[in-house]
Amino acid sequence: MESATPYQINLEVFQGPLDLLLFLIRKRKIDIHDIPIAAITGDYLEYLNRKDSINLEREAEFLLMASLLIHIKSQMLLPRESLPEEEDDPRKILVEKLLDYQKIKAASNLLRQKEETRLPEWQRSFLPPLPKTEDLELTEVSLFGLAEAFYFLMKKRERGDLKTIERKEYSIEEKTREILEVLRIHAFLDFTAFFESQETLEEAVVSFFCFLELIKAGKIVAVQEALFHPIKVWLRKESADEYSGQNHH
Amino acid sequence: MNIPVKTIIESLIFISLEPLSKEKIKGILAEFSPEEIETALLELTTDYNSPGRGIKIIEVAGGYLFSTQPELDSWIRRLLHSNRKSKLSPAALETLSTIAYNQPITLAEISSVRGVDASHALKTLLQKKLIKIVGRKKAPGKPLLYRTSDRFLRYFGLNSLEELPSAEEISKMLEEEDGK
Repeated sequence: MESATPYQINLEVFQGPLDLLLFLIRKRKIDIHDIPIAAITGDYLEYLNRKDSINLEREAEFLLMASLLIHIKSQMLLPRESLPEEEDDPRKILVEKLLDYQKIKAASNLLRQKEETRLPEWQRSFLPPLPKTEDLELTEVSLFGLAEAFYFLMKKRERGDLKTIERKEYSIEEKTREILEVLRIHAFLDFTAFFESQETLEEAVVSFFCFLELIKAGKIVAVQEALFHPIKVWLRKESADEYSGQNHH
Repeated sequence: MNIPVKTIIESLIFISLEPLSKEKIKGILAEFSPEEIETALLELTTDYNSPGRGIKIIEVAGGYLFSTQPELDSWIRRLLHSNRKSKLSPAALETLSTIAYNQPITLAEISSVRGVDASHALKTLLQKKLIKIVGRKKAPGKPLLYRTSDRFLRYFGLNSLEELPSAEEISKMLEEEDGK
């Protein structure tokens, strides 16, 4: 039987049920492709039992694996009509999962080594502002990049001070005009700064819709000098002409 | 005035925040031949990587970047009033390698490989910008797809994803370990 000395089990040292299973398999020095399912299920359950209580929220996955093991065990006990083929070995799915997980674990150990080498090295992380010329190489920000930036801005606001605001209606048309007006005067606007200047969440959401509409219509473009740099919104040249034309009308 | 191409490249790398790619250098220094630039880059990195220097030139995320030598960590932290940089949690690291080897991948797929819910780790990685959202999978519920970012390469000192050992190499490594 199990010969391990009893000690306080801390499931937290395992990243999950697969991690615990791998540990048990290694301990028994058995072939992962041919797991003696009854023995391993026994080991596994013993581990869970050694804990006084199960924190369902954190350890539900461990219980799920226990039920899977028991299920496989019972399937293997059932008499079969035909000779079992490798294809319907009930352990197959579990073995595949374990093999995949084993690779990921090895890969994460490699990454950890690399991380440790890199942590004591420092690189400059700020730079004097780049000259603002039109021929700077700019990357267009993807929709997801934009949505992500918006999300983090809104998250930041959630932590901000609450203040009473009077109810105000915002219309897309009005907001669109306002954005185009800012762009006409300043040529570009800073995405973050713009949303920080919005008074309410409602106003920010309406503005974000306007940006999306204008980008879709090809009137403006959201760009950044490089990934993770501030996002700037520019008026497209064609629409700049069109807009100033309209204005003079 | 005849300034050597090596000197020019040194200044370009110095002023760059993001890794400066070979292609970009060649584009900027159109008056020099690609061979001249290659040689200069090699000389420059060798110069910097010789002993006795506080900084070196590293090749990460497809470009060149100045970096300090690891043994100077404590001095730099004095200057920046900074603590030792914190490591990623085991859960975050595991999630990151799952993404690195299976990208693009959805949250459900990551959780399935790891056997545990990965949503918390995923959030951490997004905030650290080590991963990015690249779109939605054409599957029921249109789940978001994730990929590792350039910052991921930079964080681990990788020049490209190809520098990671392949899944096959890892399997081999594991077999050898088992054989012991």
